[in-house]
Amino acid sequence: MTPGRHLQLEWAQYQGRDCLKISGWIEAELRELEKQDAGALSRRLALYPSEAVPQDEGWPVVPPVAGRFLIEGEAAWFVPRFPFVDGVSYSLLVRSASEADGAEAWDIRRPSSEGSATTEALVIYPTAAELPVNLLRVYVHFSAPMSEGWAARAITVSRADTGETLDDVFLPPEPELWDAERKRLTMLLDPGRIKRGLVPNLEFGYPLVEGTTVRITIDPAFRDATGQPLRAGAERSYSIGPALRSRLDPHSWRLTAPAAGSREPLLVEFDRPLDHGLLQHCLSLQDGDGRTIEGAGEIGKGERIWGFAPDIPWTTGEYRLVVKPRLEDVAGNTPVRVFDRDVTKAEDAPGEWEAVTVNFSCTRASQRRFQLDH
Amino acid sequence: MVDLGTATSLANLGLVVGTPAFKSVGPLAFGPGGVLFAADNVSASIFAIDVGDTADGEPQDVNLENFDASLASYLGCSREDVTIRDIVAHPTSGNVYCSVMRASGDAATPVIIRVSGDGSIGDVALDDVAFSQYDITDAADADDPRLVTRMQLRTVTVTDMSYVDGLLLVAGTSNEEFTSTLRRIPFPFNGEAKSNSLEIFHVSHGVYETAAPIRAFVPYQGNTSILASYTCTPVVQFTLADFDTEKHVMGKTVAELGSHNHPIDLISYEHDGGEYLLVCNDRHPLFKVACKDIDVQGPLTEPDDSMDASPADPVTPGVGVPRELLPHPGVKRMANLNGNGVLMLQQDEDGRSHLRTYATATL
Repeated sequence: MTPGRHLQLEWAQYQGRDCLKISGWIEAELRELEKQDAGALSRRLALYPSEAVPQDEGWPVVPPVAGRFLIEGEAAWFVPRFPFVDGVSYSLLVRSASEADGAEAWDIRRPSSEGSATTEALVIYPTAAELPVNLLRVYVHFSAPMSEGWAARAITVSRADTGETLDDVFLPPEPELWDAERKRLTMLLDPGRIKRGLVPNLEFGYPLVEGTTVRITIDPAFRDATGQPLRAGAERSYSIGPALRSRLDPHSWRLTAPAAGSREPLLVEFDRPLDHGLLQHCLSLQDGDGRTIEGAGEIGKGERIWGFAPDIPWTTGEYRLVVKPRLEDVAGNTPVRVFDRDVTKAEDAPGEWEAVTVNFSCTRASQRRFQLDH
Repeated sequence: MVDLGTATSLANLGLVVGTPAFKSVGPLAFGPGGVLFAADNVSASIFAIDVGDTADGEPQDVNLENFDASLASYLGCSREDVTIRDIVAHPTSGNVYCSVMRASGDAATPVIIRVSGDGSIGDVALDDVAFSQYDITDAADADDPRLVTRMQLRTVTVTDMSYVDGLLLVAGTSNEEFTSTLRRIPFPFNGEAKSNSLEIFHVSHGVYETAAPIRAFVPYQGNTSILASYTCTPVVQFTLADFDTEKHVMGKTVAELGSHNHPIDLISYEHDGGEYLLVCNDRHPLFKVACKDIDVQGPLTEPDDSMDASPADPVTPGVGVPRELLPHPGVKRMANLNGNGVLMLQQDEDGRSHLRTYATATL
């Protein structure tokens, strides 16, 4: 310890960058430090996260914070290689030239970021009240971009009746599956437990239990991209029904054709809840000549209904609903294949990987419901 | 083992000096001329970077206890702010490269760390560096004129990469579709990627098929085969030549690694004239498999009930390729280090991570 001086640490700017300014040196000490080259200086001064500094005042075994020290004017400056992290305490260690006296440590804490919890978990999909026991995935939509690393901790599934937490329902979310904006998280249920015959299914059964009601809970501790927790948690309950294990059959969907001359939506009702994510880009409309109809699709209640309103009014004539082969229901079944196929069932053999089209026609008559022919 | 030691001109590899716009950093793989591939799952890109590692001489073992604490200190943050994503060893220098995310959310910074044989830590400069970029787009959606809602909700998250004979093999997971796709991206990045849909073929009564995503894979047998570990526990062998001739590739399931478990990483190494594969898992121990045993292993096609018989012993099922359990606990990532050693990132019970090199003879 150099007698007679007390170092002051403060956050400052050096050439437009955040840095640490260290003042309060004795003149002779500063001039002596000034003469050191970078290597020698790094043996005299080093910055560490305080958690890395041993209590016994020894020199830490870990490398110091990457960056460089400069002596300029009446102060020493530390310019970090990576920005300082809010809320972290840092310790400056100072050694004398002889290195015999141990090290002095001077501490400073980076202020925590100001802010309040504003982000919400907007919705958990599926929104259907009843789900098949072989549910494949769940989406959580947030109102703002989120931080990674919280999905495993902050999303839980429990039985509604007993409150018992169901472990290992979801695959370990590593890597976490986000959309490009980091506002929608996809959680996969453990497919090893969904597919019959796989060891996890044989040994532990489905992750969900048929006949029970389960609750998916989003803990408000889930951090958004600014590091703030959620304004409130979210939850959704489902009653768990039998497994869905058949291909989608778009020809069995109920279409309500709009009247020609109107811009009323075409309504398509499904026989089961479909995957919310894929519904957004797997259905489209064409006219009788195969031209795309521009307009807006909208997903309805429980992901069991889809509406499409054209930009320009419907005209009298034929139209086609085009279903991409990769559209899935909530259990992963597509128009082409059954997710968990019994290979002994001929009707479950995979079909051709091509779009399915369902024809309908618009007339001047008012809207009417009808079952479409094949 | 992938032979990457050939010196290749960086210009011929299509690298241009600039600043790659990394938003995140995940899986790593080395390519020709010591080029490092780094996947950025936030921007859905893969960057090829010249890491400027020209060190020669005998590569050294890398051993660094409390690696995460060293990283945190170097990066000026707390240990909780450090996420180690992948490790890989430079094919000639033996220096270890490690993808790390520092902090999270808006403050998240991607860093590529270099650990030298003497245990010193540095980072790869990611500005003014020779690089090229490949954007992982999904042509099916982008080109589809029937697209109604023009929201690109679907993303592809890279889970593993390997460079083989002019192609970067990329396994990925979609956030919407549960499909298994292996992309093959020509490098230099000047051609179109090819992709194959993959299926694990099961023929007998009442069994499943799967379209599950590959979690990790490794080329072996002179790059003629890959062994892939799946999200839903099977371990599957594919013959690489099939990828050129078949659009839809059938794999051979050779092992089930047990329940409530997910494979994390796979590597190959040679010892005493034989080639071996290591599979590390999130719950089960480290497995060792001899490649010659994979060759003679017939496809698993029946439900395996051996675990019902011994549920307390989930790691010794009665079927599948013979495997040896190794005593190395908490292995999170592995890298083949200079052919003589295997580098393991091991996490202890207190959550502390260590880099340790094990001679292949001891495995």
